[in-house]
Amino acid sequence: MKGVDSQLLQFTPWEGNHTRRHAAAVAILRISLLLIVRQRLFWALLALAALAFFFFFYAQYLLVWISQHLAQETIRIAGFPVSVSNLLRFLDRLALNGSAHTYGNFIWFQGYIIVILLAFSGSQLFGNDIVYGSMLFYYSKPISLWHYFYGKCCTIALLLLMTTFIPAIILWIEAGLLFDWKTYYMQNYHLLLGITGYSTLIALTLSLLTAATALLFRRTTPLVLAWMGLFVLLRLISNWLTLATQDASWRLLDLWNNLYLCGLWCFGVDHATIRPVPQPSYDAACLVIVGIIILCLMYINFYLKYLYK
Amino acid sequence: MQITRPNAINSHVCVAFIRGLAGVTRPDARVLMVYPLSSPLLELHHLGRDYGSITALSDISLTLPPGRIGLLGPNGAGKSTLLKILLGWLPPSRGTGRFLNVELTAPAPLRRQLRERVGFMPEADALIPGLSGVEYVAFAGELCGLPRRHALRRAHEILHLLEMDEARYRPVESYSTGMRQRVKLAQALVHDPPVLLLDEPTAGLDPAGRDALLQLLEHIATQYNKSIILSTHLLADVERICDQVVVLAAGQVCAAGQVEHLKDPRGNRYRLQTYGEDEVFATQLRLHNITILDHHRPGAWRVLVPADWKPQHFFKIAHQSQTIIHRLVPDEETLEELFLRLLSANKMKRGEDAGPPSLSTGEK
Repeated sequence: MKGVDSQLLQFTPWEGNHTRRHAAAVAILRISLLLIVRQRLFWALLALAALAFFFFFYAQYLLVWISQHLAQETIRIAGFPVSVSNLLRFLDRLALNGSAHTYGNFIWFQGYIIVILLAFSGSQLFGNDIVYGSMLFYYSKPISLWHYFYGKCCTIALLLLMTTFIPAIILWIEAGLLFDWKTYYMQNYHLLLGITGYSTLIALTLSLLTAATALLFRRTTPLVLAWMGLFVLLRLISNWLTLATQDASWRLLDLWNNLYLCGLWCFGVDHATIRPVPQPSYDAACLVIVGIIILCLMYINFYLKYLYK
Repeated sequence: MQITRPNAINSHVCVAFIRGLAGVTRPDARVLMVYPLSSPLLELHHLGRDYGSITALSDISLTLPPGRIGLLGPNGAGKSTLLKILLGWLPPSRGTGRFLNVELTAPAPLRRQLRERVGFMPEADALIPGLSGVEYVAFAGELCGLPRRHALRRAHEILHLLEMDEARYRPVESYSTGMRQRVKLAQALVHDPPVLLLDEPTAGLDPAGRDALLQLLEHIATQYNKSIILSTHLLADVERICDQVVVLAAGQVCAAGQVEHLKDPRGNRYRLQTYGEDEVFATQLRLHNITILDHHRPGAWRVLVPADWKPQHFFKIAHQSQTIIHRLVPDEETLEELFLRLLSANKMKRGEDAGPPSLSTGEK
């Protein structure tokens, strides 16, 4: 047996062709994804993200069913008679009707899970490489650090697409099946483009932001705190300042709101219908997002340039 | 029932096309250039490197043929900077050089080719927690340009060669220091580079682990015809593995070449091991104008003999003093002595006071 083993596993000179360098980025993506899916926390976060999706999925179905079958009925809630049509008008605020707001709101709600997911994956993908010295491993291979960075960011983008783009597409398909599907798909194909645009924007911005903050903070706890600061604290401050001054430009401090605005622009939503009011203009929100992308790229470039010099 | 495959050729073409699109392989893919063994491994001409106002390497000129080369030097001598230049991480600030036929002054994308032809084993752990040994090594292979399937196969092969049969399936973070060193060596070897750059490969190993790893390195170097550049503080490792040394001090080359050529011949010195009365033997040695250089253990001697002395004369003395000689060898200069001599000479040349030695002999 030993003899057979030795013969099969004999170390031989390599005489084959080498793959293109971007194949290394694909390998980095694959291994990074493997490292993430091996963590139990990832599955817990994915389950939470799935809860939000199932809420939208079944609520959309339920509302359509109620509106078609019970619209003229009166039901009793806590002993009080409530007209179903009044209830439906109230629930319309959730916009679970296959409109642009449905998908915009869904992605907005996913943001809470995404923030934790990104803090976790950022520390796993970038932070661990610095803490455990794995950057030296990558750096000793014939790839540029941009290949490394590209592979890692693609992993984060893939995680984001898994939690935003794919469920939103399923919701769009479901909405079509609940209504007259031919008419819905013909009239709302632009929503598909909107979902793609919004998800791509989130994937691009947040993967760069994850990379930059993970390179800066490295470990999970400071990273989670930083993300909470960016997405929770800044939101509270911006809300408070907007309400206090009635100046919409304070909302630009809220990164998730800026992404939401850019996303709704992708859907072609009328700015006047966006709640809560007041909201900054689409242009201002896009400018902030572009600024963040540029800042992140500059920091990452600076970091990678001087890493081993 | 006979199974026919009428579309076999087409399916091959399709697979090749899909692989091409995926960047797995392609007809004009980069082929690892075979390094001609006749040309020098490394040529440096007045090479220097500065970090701002600090000069790490001042004026290095070297030509080294392929082989096993020890890179020695005290802390701050410029070893790490030289390694970074050889790996293509840093360009030199001045001078020129070629390593494996790649210009060291070339732009970064061209210098990156060096890392296809060099396997680097870093001193730091550089592992990826969460991956098993075989996944880690296969991943290293893929990053070096091997197709995925081949990288995995070669990872198994190399880990088998390095005697990590069962351990290869365990997560790398659970490895002992010895296993970590082996898996780091495996990731450096997986793409079959002609040159291995080893930075302190035996750091943190116990004597048995160190011996085993050095044996493996010797085996790989001789059996698979690999050149090795070994940067270490442990002179015993260099003495055992390398046939050439480069001694660096204060960013300059103190000496470079074959170890045997650099060593002082010292034909008038011998080492003896005797059994008998040391006092009587010592008296007899002095009577014959022999200077005792060292006698710190009973029966162990290092002596300096007169010019016309022949080794047979020792046996006469032994007979006269009723002593048995059971070992008599010329006292060749050790690598440690050579290293210290070169460092002192370098310091004196630069007008500094020769300080205490700063390298370990590796004796544990």
